[in-house]
Order: sequence, then structure tokens, then C-alpha cells
Amino acid sequence: MPCGLRRKLPSVVLAVLVALATAGVAAASNGGFTPVEPASPGASHTLTAYYVILAFTSVIFVIVEGLLVVFVIKYRRRGRAREVEGAQVHGHTRLELIWTVIPVLILAVIGVTVFLELPDIRSAPAAANPIRITIVGHQYYWQFNYPNGARSIGTLHAPVDRVVDLKVLSPDVIHSWWIPALGGKIQAIPGRSNHIWFEATKEGSFEGQCAQLCGVFHASMLATVVAQSDAAYQHFVNVTTRATLGQQEWSGVCATCHGNLGQGGYGPAIANNSLLTQPSALEGIVRNGFTGTQGAMPPVGKWWTQAQMAALATYVKRHIYKPAPVGGTSGG
Amino acid sequence: MAARSEPAYPVSWKSGRVASWLVTVDHKRIGILYIGTSLMWFVAGGILAVLMRSQLATPGEHLLTKTSYNEVLTMHGTTMIFLVVVPILAGFGNFLIPLMIGARDMAFPRLNALSYWLFVLGGIVLWLSWLSKGGAAHAGWWSYPTLSENFPWASPGHGQDYWIVSLHLLSLSSLLSAINFIVTIHNMRAPGMSWMRMPLFIWAIYTYALLLLLALPAISAAVTLLLLDRTVGTHFFIPSQGGNLVLYQHMFWFFGHPEVYIMVLPVFGMISEILPVFSRKPIFGYKAVAFSTIGIAFFSMLVWAHHMFTTGLGTGLDSFFMISSMIIAVPTGIKIFNWLATTWRGNLIFDTPMLFAIGFIALFTMGGLSGIFLAAFPVDWQLADSYYVVAHFHYVLFGGSAFGFFGGLYYWWPKMFGRMLDERLGKWHFWLMFVGFNLTFLPQHMLGLLGMARRVYTYHHGGLWEVYNLISTIGSGVMTISILVFLVNVWQTQIARKGVRSGNDPWLADTLEWYTTSPPPPQNFDSVPYVTSARPLRDLRRRLAEQPQ
Repeated sequence: MPCGLRRKLPSVVLAVLVALATAGVAAASNGGFTPVEPASPGASHTLTAYYVILAFTSVIFVIVEGLLVVFVIKYRRRGRAREVEGAQVHGHTRLELIWTVIPVLILAVIGVTVFLELPDIRSAPAAANPIRITIVGHQYYWQFNYPNGARSIGTLHAPVDRVVDLKVLSPDVIHSWWIPALGGKIQAIPGRSNHIWFEATKEGSFEGQCAQLCGVFHASMLATVVAQSDAAYQHFVNVTTRATLGQQEWSGVCATCHGNLGQGGYGPAIANNSLLTQPSALEGIVRNGFTGTQGAMPPVGKWWTQAQMAALATYVKRHIYKPAPVGGTSGG
Repeated sequence: MAARSEPAYPVSWKSGRVASWLVTVDHKRIGILYIGTSLMWFVAGGILAVLMRSQLATPGEHLLTKTSYNEVLTMHGTTMIFLVVVPILAGFGNFLIPLMIGARDMAFPRLNALSYWLFVLGGIVLWLSWLSKGGAAHAGWWSYPTLSENFPWASPGHGQDYWIVSLHLLSLSSLLSAINFIVTIHNMRAPGMSWMRMPLFIWAIYTYALLLLLALPAISAAVTLLLLDRTVGTHFFIPSQGGNLVLYQHMFWFFGHPEVYIMVLPVFGMISEILPVFSRKPIFGYKAVAFSTIGIAFFSMLVWAHHMFTTGLGTGLDSFFMISSMIIAVPTGIKIFNWLATTWRGNLIFDTPMLFAIGFIALFTMGGLSGIFLAAFPVDWQLADSYYVVAHFHYVLFGGSAFGFFGGLYYWWPKMFGRMLDERLGKWHFWLMFVGFNLTFLPQHMLGLLGMARRVYTYHHGGLWEVYNLISTIGSGVMTISILVFLVNVWQTQIARKGVRSGNDPWLADTLEWYTTSPPPPQNFDSVPYVTSARPLRDLRRRLAEQPQ
């Protein structure tokens, strides 16, 4: 009995290890072995295509690396002299044909799979009545223009189970829109209009970041999509954005360089700059940018509406501007 | 007798110990200069890589500023591609082409020297970029406009201009050496060496030269237009004035994708030389390996827009470039299977060059397979510009090209210098680099799938992001140690002169470079045996063995 057990032990241990590894991979299915858990039909179909490719490439990987290891062990030198030659085989036409044709077939299957999944990835269902939202990638924030004229910065709100059609633009450099759970990327290219879509299948907030190097604050150019009930969405675009637009603009656009309180950071301190109290001067610098001796400010609000400008002017005057202390020599 | 002997004839300054290298037109010396200079840049570019990995070790690091991080990533990529991989392969080409085909030098020795010195100048100009006002170029090695344009919020100052001018110099250098390689290979092969008897490295470096000629003009044009935009006020890439940014992407990648094969085909050639010698067998399927090289080169000109799937090209173009990219996997697969079959029933000798060749197959296979995910454009929309891509191209360019050229260094070192690199240190170098490489780049696949974009100077996620990033940084440290082991090995072998002297042919190899002495005399050969097969030296050994003593 113990003898039989001992003989079985290695295979039992192996089986347990394999099971553990599989469970580990399964538990970590959001842990980097597949794309993140999809929350939009396009992303789900992308995942299907990913699995098909993964299946084939895994088999090829095991065959190639396995043969390599087997040959390395089996045909190793074993103390033979360097002069001892291996089998002088110069080639084999049938084998060459086999390992040409089989990869062609595998690639054909992968290609067909991609084309079968493609329609559901590329375009929204035809019957959908999409919400059309424009995304503007700026140095260094995402702005979202809703159908009713509302604007939000950094966070896109959308109702669940509704197709959202996104038009992606940029006024300055190339950015790339990417929310992994909702699908792939699309570049925001100056002078060009691109499209992408999603349909959030569950409530929640989904994070992403700009995927195209766009300058100093590329890493800070984060985006969040909040998928919520239709009522909450309507409340957001009709009430909340209006009330918080100035605050969103300050913290999503200005604060990146000038600090949350305007105390300065990458850009100069502006909290006690009287420019903040002069709407037209403020608009000029926000719309056109500024080049000083220390560096340059991009035209962050190049395409902003008058309402956006007004919201910012009101917000900074009330919440950010701190007049310099009387007799103070710094600031200005 | 005079106490002091005067030289019988005046000795020119040109024969001085250093000066003779500066004025040399000998292909072997130029090759060694190329390789040495490239290795120096490899260390410089590697330091930049370790800086980036240290910055990314944990979330919210402050080792590098966000400004300098963008400069470092741009200079790392540009240095590794244009100052390391391409020129080190040109170095191997220079050293090996005449020796392998039984010629006395390249067709145009002075042009050869000019190529080298243009490369030196290009490297200096690129790194001068650090000193320019506004800092080094910081728009990535693609330098996509408008980020690379001369706007105050994009790339003001002259860093980007240095980058452009250095690319011009390096392109010119590569074009001249490509012409030299092609002319030499066409015209100067030893008697009997038909195309089907050429060493496979010669096939590969010939294809490398052809691709350079075809691809480099595209990037020269692209960066010239960019330079005009930046300096004289044209608007080729300024959309508000009617410019087109997608045009730059097409021009850049029309060069950029063949460039990938430019950097890996000669390494394929090296592997096809090393594997048979250390398997004691001929290459399996000589013709398949040679023609698949040509096949890869042809299709490499037709796949460029798979770098642009997220540009929004439309289904038609995306589909074309997916299919062409998948087709290129076929000749690549043929090579891998033929290499595997070469080891089959061999007498495998695991000297350091062989270890690197085996490591190359293992790692390059991985890079090739992850490429299939990226070729499938809907999947690429998810993976593009993420750390998955960073992992993929490092498996191809480091796991592939760098493992290959290190194998080549260990293999041809005795021919270059007459001494063997130390085997024990060589094995340490290989294993540390193999383990360190996988630690560094395997977790980056996962990071990309988790949603980490490339070229970010920091991130704010804990958990798996932090774990994978930390493992990756530790791996880069292990790789650093492996490179130090290599440098110690070079020091001991050459400078401390502890390396064992090699004979003409320490590996019992197959090709003509092993027929002459190590190192070879200036004229390479006094006579060259008539070539009757792709393995002239083995033929010679067999003839000698058959002769009665």
C-alpha cells in the first residue's frame, strides 16, 4: 500500500499544484492574464477574440518551447567530443510544407474569428437610439459635451444599458481615449474626427487613462466613466453639471499645474493674482495660452463656450482668489 | 654601433596605436569600432532604462520629474534603436561580410569609414540634445506631431531639432553602409560561392541592407518636413493650417516597421550560423531559411499600419494590415521550426554562444506569439499603447536582437581578438540576463492587460499594479548585474589578457572566416579555398582527414 501511494504521490502533488495554479489564474482573471472584466458588449466580444487567439498561441507556445526543452535534454553532448557530428540531415520537404501549411490554417481560423467578432466590436446595434456625446482631449484633461449642451470635465456620466456614441476630437496634440472595461482605444487627433461607442451593462465607475504620450502631464490625464440609472444621469446633465462646472474646470484643468488652491506647482502660484478677478483677461489667457519666461501654458480652453468661461470666472473669483496681504511684496 | 637605432624609414603618425584606429579603412577595425561604440551606447541607454524602472518601482515615486521622464523615455528608445541595435549589426556586417565571403575588404573601404564616423557624429548630436535649451527631445521615439512641433506647449527649444538632425546623420550613415554591403556581397564572393552556398548570415545582412535602402528615405522625408515646420514655418503637420497628422504616422511607420526587421533579420542570420556549429549538424532547410528571410523582408514593407489601428483608419485598411501582419508570421514560423529541427539529433554543445542562441529561440517565440494578439486589430484596440506592447517589443528586440548579438559576440570574439571570452562568466552572464529579462518583461504583459498605458511617469494603483511593477524593476536590476558580468569578462579577457588564446577555428565551424588566423591579417586571406558547399570549412576538414599522413 505505502509503495503504491508513494508511486502515486508525485502525480497527486502535481494534480493539486495544477488545480491551485488554475484556481489562482481564475481568481486573478482580472489579475493581468486577460483584459479587464468587460462592461460593454464591444469589450466582451474583444475578450472572446482574445480567448480564441490565446488558445491557439498557448498550444504553439507549448509545442515550440516543449520541443526546445526536449531536444536540449535529449541531444545534449553527454561528454562526446566536439568532433562527433550529429545526424547530417539537410532538410525535409514534407516537414517544411507541414509547418508552413498548419500555421496558415491556424492564422486563417484566427482571422475568421476576428471578422466574426468584428461587427459587434466596431459598431453599436443598429436599432439603438444612441446618446451622442463629444469627447475633447486636451492637454491635460478630457472634456465631455452632452447633447443638452452640458459639459463635464474628467468624468463622463452615462446611463446604463444605453448605447453611447462618442465623437472624439482634440484641439492640441494627439491623445488616446481608453477605458479598458468599456472597450478599446481610439486616438483623438487634431484636425480629424473619430468615433467609438460603448453600452455600459452595469452600474459603476470605470477608470482609464490617456494612452498616447501627450506631454508633461500625460500620466495625470485620467478619465472615469460613471454608468448610472437614467434618472441619475438626467439629474447630472440637467442640474449637477450646471452647479459644479466652474469647480470641475478648476480642479480638472487649472489645478493640474497651479495646485488645488492655486498655490502653484508645475505652473506658478496664481491664488493672489488679480487676473483671476478680471473675466476678459482670464478668458484671453485660458483661450490662447501664454508664453512666459518660465515656460508656457497651453491654450487649455481654446474651444470653450462663453458659459464655460463664465463658470470658471465666477468660481475662481469666489473660491480661489486670495488678495495679497496689504504691503506684501510677493505674488502678483 | 650607434647606441640609439633610428628607424630605417620615417614612421607615419598614422601607424600610431590610437591614430591607426582613427584613420583605419580596414573593415575589421571599422566593424570592431562599430560594435564597441554601440556597446557604449547600450550601457548609456541601459542606464536610462534602469532610471525609468526605478521611477516606476512603486506608485508615486519622485526619482525623476515628469519632464525628465519624457526626455528619458525618448532618449532610451532612440538610443537603443538607432545607436545600439542597428549599428551593432552594421558592425557585425562590416567585420564578417568580407571574411565570410572570402574577400579582402569591403567594396568601398573609405565609404565604410565615412559611415562609421557619421554614426559617431549622429550619436553625439543626439545626446547633445540633453544640453539644449528646453531639454532633450521628449516626444517619444516616434516624435508624433503636433507634440513634436515648435509650439511653446509642445516641443519648444532645440532638443527636437537635435533629434531630427541626428536621425539624418544616422540615416545617411546606414544608407552608405547598406550600399557598401550590397555591392560587396554581389561582386566579391570567393570562387565557387554561389548564392546558394552563401552563409545564412550573409543572406540576412544582405536583406538588412536592402530594407535599409527601402525604408530610410521615408523617415528622412518625414523628419525633414517636421524640421521645416519647426524652423521655417511650413505647416505639413499643423492641422489648423491644413496639415495632416495621420500622414506623419504613415511616413513614420512605413519606415518603422521594416526597421523592426532590420533590427532582427541579421540576428536571425547569426542564430542560423551558431546553431548548426554547436549542434554539429548542417542547418535544417537551408533554402527555406534563406527564402523565408526574403519573404519576411517583402511582407515587412506591407504591414506598417498595424501600428496605427487606433488611428481610426477604417475597416478596409485595418483588415488589410491585419492579414499582411499575420502572413508575416508564416515565414517567421518556418525559421523557428527549422532552427528546432537543426538541434534534432545533434551533438549539442552548450558553450555560451549556443546558450544565447537557445535563449533567443525561447524568447523570440514568445515575442512572436504576443504579436499575433496585436495583429488582430480589435484586440489591438485594447492592447495598443499599453505595457503589453512594451513587453511584446522587448521580447522581440531584447529577447530577440540583444540575446542574438550577445551570442554573436561570444561566438566571433575569438576571431576578432584572438582570445576566448571566459566560459564560466559567460554562462553567468547568460543565466542572469535570461532570468532578469523574464522578470522584467513578463509582468509587463499583465500590466498592460490591467490597463497601464505606456510612457506614464507614475501611477496611483496599489495591489497587482504595484506587485508587477516592483517585480519588473527587480528584474531590471538582475539584468544590470548580467551586463556588469559581461563587462568584467571583457576586461579579464582582453585588458587583463587572461583570455585563452584561440586558434584559427576554436569551435570547429563551417564558414570561411575561420579559415584565416585569429585575429585575421590586414588582407584577411592569402588564398581562399574553392567553395563547393555552404560549409567550406567542414569540407576542408574532411579532405584533410581523408588525406594519408
